[in-house]
Amino acid sequence: MISRREFLKSGIKLAIILTLPVSSAKSEKYVYVIDASRCIGCGSCVRACREENNVPEGKYRTWVERYVVYMNEGIEEVYVESPEGGEHGFEDLDFSDKEVLRAYFVPKLCMHCEKPPCVKVCPVNATWLTDDGFVLIDEDHCIGCKYCIQACPYGARYFHEEKHVVDKCTWCYHRVKRGMKPACVHVCPTGARIFGKIDDKEIEERLRDPTIKILKPELNTRPKVFYQKIGWEVW
Amino acid sequence: MKNILREIRYFLDFVFASIKIALTGDRRYYVWLASLVMLVVLGTYAYIYQLMHGLIVTGMRDQVSWGLYISNFTFFVGVAASAVLIVAPLYLYNYREFEYIVTFGEFLAVAALIIALTNVLADVGRVERLWHMFPLIGTPNWPDSMLVWDVLVLNGYLFLNLLIPGYKLYKKYIGLEPSNWIKFFIFLSIPWAISIHTVTAFIYAGLSARPYWNTALMAPRFIASAFTSGPAIMILVLLVIRKYTFYRKYISEKAIETLAQITLIAMLVNLFLLLSELYTVFYSATIHQVSLKYLFFGLEHNGKVYAALKPIAWLSLFMQITSVALLLYPKTRRNFKTLAAACSLNAIGIWLEKGMGLVVPGFVPTPIGEIWEYMPSFMEWVIVAGTVAWGFLVYTLMLKVAKTIEAGLARHPKAGKE
Repeated sequence: MISRREFLKSGIKLAIILTLPVSSAKSEKYVYVIDASRCIGCGSCVRACREENNVPEGKYRTWVERYVVYMNEGIEEVYVESPEGGEHGFEDLDFSDKEVLRAYFVPKLCMHCEKPPCVKVCPVNATWLTDDGFVLIDEDHCIGCKYCIQACPYGARYFHEEKHVVDKCTWCYHRVKRGMKPACVHVCPTGARIFGKIDDKEIEERLRDPTIKILKPELNTRPKVFYQKIGWEVW
Repeated sequence: MKNILREIRYFLDFVFASIKIALTGDRRYYVWLASLVMLVVLGTYAYIYQLMHGLIVTGMRDQVSWGLYISNFTFFVGVAASAVLIVAPLYLYNYREFEYIVTFGEFLAVAALIIALTNVLADVGRVERLWHMFPLIGTPNWPDSMLVWDVLVLNGYLFLNLLIPGYKLYKKYIGLEPSNWIKFFIFLSIPWAISIHTVTAFIYAGLSARPYWNTALMAPRFIASAFTSGPAIMILVLLVIRKYTFYRKYISEKAIETLAQITLIAMLVNLFLLLSELYTVFYSATIHQVSLKYLFFGLEHNGKVYAALKPIAWLSLFMQITSVALLLYPKTRRNFKTLAAACSLNAIGIWLEKGMGLVVPGFVPTPIGEIWEYMPSFMEWVIVAGTVAWGFLVYTLMLKVAKTIEAGLARHPKAGKE
């Protein structure tokens, strides 16, 4: 039952919304850009995320993968690894007997898709897309059926063993709403992670790069994490 | 007013008589019930342990987050759907041989649904919040989420399969013919049966993130495998009833032969669909063939071999093909010993294929390319055994009542007099 006070409040809100003129053209959507050529695989982002969001041990809201592409009998061969999500950095690899074509780090996190399959499958509306483009989970409403984990093509969701519900990256919604950057962006020492509104100058410039990529575009999920300087092998 | 009161009194008499029938029997009956109760108690104990410690006591992890519970759920929804194979011939085509075995089918659907639904209860992390899925009181994501559809159609089917045989038994008990309105629900239950398994298949088939499940063949394959394993289990139940109970004279050999032929044809269709799937995946040989490769051949990744499901996959295929051979040859199909063997092989083969063989490879590799092998934990086995025992316990009690009343051995004292 809603109280009278609550009822009046929502009534007033509705009145304001109805009388307001259509708001300014400036977009409120946020996007995330990753410049893979700048990532050094230090794992600061993974550690900062764990601190900031109290992510349980062994679970990752963001993680870093290392790709090494080398020649093997005349064809490109791909080696991928992510030891402990890259949290403690990466060990040296010995590829001295092989012809390495390219090697780089790829930070990953929730893509906050515009057409999120996880939201579509949730039986109880416990996960949803906000107006400013964040995909969030209500941990007090989730029933822990794990259907969204199966639906996510990017492996972003995990089961929180103590809360018995599903959990994932929020792009640090609590920080962004206070005018701060997500923790992973804030600590990145090389500026490989860039976050902002879609019409911010820097973001806009990067989105004009014709080689910019999203992951698994054929699934039509319309991710809002964009990648620069990655090869075809990342998916 | 007086009529309504009388109706209520009769109905209460029916309920009390049913309880009495269900709880009386010979020694063998009590031993059977006691062993089922014991399994249910063990399963409940394991479930309470899981509630206290969380899903970490299972073998499931983030890489493979649906396992034995959902495998079982899928299989038993299929068994429930196959009740239609007895209902439809009887009521649509007036196939009288099924007249006395139709309640076996309807109550098998009830038992299978109970098993399926309790397996879902075991799989969710927050069982106390399940009401969030229900219409009116919760916040169901309808019509988008296939899980909401599944809750609706499964509970609707459960209701239909309790109502129809329950009503007919009640009428028989008080010595009256069933009214015509029940036919509406009988005919409704026929397409409804198809819908429950279709929706269950759509849960998987709709996920673009899991190429192994993302195939249009999923629902047809589900129906075919359900329509072979369901009658197979049905035949096994009927053979046991024929061997051990007074009800043997009501189960004709012709009815069993018809069921055996249905089992055979559905199995052939099932194998054909499997072949189509295997051809499409392996001939086109895209990167999406990895899951099926994992299932049948195992994978090698960074010097390690992953092949936990390989024996299960081949065993299942072997069982299915052997059951076809036994069912094709009339002599072995009509001999009850070999028929029982064929049906057991069939049911176990489908349980393996549609359970672990369907659910687990969907997770291997994960969307980000990890390879992680799932094996059910001991706790999961105990809980699953508990749910299956619980289903069979309910089935036994319901059948005891149904068959006693249907054979005319229990009637209301005033039956046929008013």
